[in-house]
Amino acid sequence: MLLTLFLLSSTVVLAAQPPSILISRQLAERAHLRVGDVVTFANDPEGTRRSQFRVAGIYEPTPDPMRFTSPRIEARMHLPDAIDVLDDPADPASREALSGINVALSDPAVARRFASDLSARAPGVVAQPTRPAREDDPFAVLERFHIAISAVTMVGGTAFLLALMVIRAEERRETVGVLRLVGISRRTLLCSVAVEGVLIAALGALFGVLLAVATEGLVNRIFQARYDTSLVFVRVTPSIAARAVAIAAPLGVIAGLGASWTLLRRSILSIVRR
Amino acid sequence: MTSLLLASRTVRRYRAQTVLAIVGVAVIGALLFDMLLLSRGLLLSFSDLLGRAGFDIRIVGGSGLAARLPIEGSASLIEAIRALPEVERVGAIRIQGATIGSPGKRPAAVTVIGATDAAEGAWTLVSGADLGSATAPCPLLVGRGLASALGVSPGSILELSIRPPAIRSVVPPVACQVVGVARFAFGASSDDTVATTLDAFHRANGEADPGDADLIVIASRPDAGSARAVAAIAAIRPGVRAYSNDQVVEQFNRNGFAYFRQISFVLSSLTMVFAFMLVATLLTVSVNQRLGEIAALRAIGIRRGSIASMLLWESALLVGAGGLLALPLGEALAIGLDRILRQMPGLPEQLHFFVFETRALIVHITVFVVTAIAAAAYPVWLTARLPIAETLRREVVG
Repeated sequence: MLLTLFLLSSTVVLAAQPPSILISRQLAERAHLRVGDVVTFANDPEGTRRSQFRVAGIYEPTPDPMRFTSPRIEARMHLPDAIDVLDDPADPASREALSGINVALSDPAVARRFASDLSARAPGVVAQPTRPAREDDPFAVLERFHIAISAVTMVGGTAFLLALMVIRAEERRETVGVLRLVGISRRTLLCSVAVEGVLIAALGALFGVLLAVATEGLVNRIFQARYDTSLVFVRVTPSIAARAVAIAAPLGVIAGLGASWTLLRRSILSIVRR
Repeated sequence: MTSLLLASRTVRRYRAQTVLAIVGVAVIGALLFDMLLLSRGLLLSFSDLLGRAGFDIRIVGGSGLAARLPIEGSASLIEAIRALPEVERVGAIRIQGATIGSPGKRPAAVTVIGATDAAEGAWTLVSGADLGSATAPCPLLVGRGLASALGVSPGSILELSIRPPAIRSVVPPVACQVVGVARFAFGASSDDTVATTLDAFHRANGEADPGDADLIVIASRPDAGSARAVAAIAAIRPGVRAYSNDQVVEQFNRNGFAYFRQISFVLSSLTMVFAFMLVATLLTVSVNQRLGEIAALRAIGIRRGSIASMLLWESALLVGAGGLLALPLGEALAIGLDRILRQMPGLPEQLHFFVFETRALIVHITVFVVTAIAAAAYPVWLTARLPIAETLRREVVG
């Protein structure tokens, strides 16, 4: 059970060992706590009902992408201790109430059906799978947004590549003219341009992937320090790298062929300016 | 004038290159423009939504603005706030999960809002009448989506059953009359919302006494301002969580909005670099191609300054045309990207991620002017150092 409570005071060492708790690294840093310290917790700012605990350990909270902007000022304690702290004398049922029950299913695939069955059998109980459905997942929406941005960047990049290839084709106008004059066919020249396009695009994509891999750690370190979390923000996976190269290579071929065709479709005399 | 003329002739001469460069700059510029709109869009939209509600202070029960916890002793607090000279109007709101449906049909899960004196701006009436003018004991405003899903219109009867959280309720449903169809300002597109009066809310909840409000909204007097009103409220009940709209927006800016601000910063920086590289590379390669031509111009008496000015004009024409095209293209792209992001679950239907503001346009133009100048810098330096005789000789021999 996870609780976020008001911390009153610390470092009061008692003769009898108070119950143990775990505190998050962020709480330990903020309150200058160490393992072995005794702390007082209360569930109101006035500290009217307070209990003392001994810090048995400091933990790194499991990174949660939905909460990475909030500081993780947390403590974990045994359920009976938490009930003692939160017990409301005015409400006899408060010792019986839990805010959540985690259930591990033997077959996680049936989580949605299980939640639906449980909600039907116990009205008032909200049961929901921890893994949201695709349509309820904000990260699925963010993924679509990132894909859309990548597509736009790709269109801009293709225009850039095409413009460069046109200039390169124009630069080699006379060489191409000579090659055509000595009998090299349009097809052979187009093939060589296609190979060149693939090579340029693949090398460019590879450089991009290497740059992403090299800066991955830096980006993660900046964001992890900014939000005081161990969450990984950027990860270049082999499938992402393969996708980048697989998209870039055909684009290189198209750009190369498109640019060269504007030159090669002309007559030989026109190419050599005669 | 000569420089502009020469530059325009050059861009017309290399038509394919020019068109491709303009397309590239326009696409990248559109992305940059969108990132500028995104950098503050959500904040502006949220601030606008809050402002439209007509109240400038909010009191909540939980430690954060997102939590919906009852405000202890809200009735006495509201009375005390009403008596403050800094306050013009006070409204109370309760929000809870409920089920609603036509008699004999399977009920649908909804969010029910019970509101008194707080309706202004919280919803826009699409058809029918507002809660204030209704005479029915349980008047109901139904969200547009829900109204069409249930096939109801003003005059229809629906059974409302409110479920207090984590409590098994056997309170029978209350028959409510639909008095109007509305568009809720903070209602999510996926979340069906209905609203009724606080009295009807209490009855449907089976409460003997009116329960505590989840949210108290306050309009301060214009001459007092929200900051003074917040201080006055804090003085009558220390520890009360009262926030002005500016504080709510600031908190939203710090927590909920951080990701989009950062992604827009990263992407706008990248697109800027990309646009600079695109124009700088094209100009440099193009100048390298025309070194002989430029040397000839210098040889017939055209000054170094004029050549530099010509290259600057070329850069300005490419970047300017691309930058101008980027604006309509960016607007169209923003509509598409906004549609994608608004699919986020639980997001208010009227919240937008991309919002136009003059500031974004000014930054866009400034960035493009700087890009045009920076991109022309290296080619200008190349031509300025060009040895005329040697270049011409190499051109003739080559």
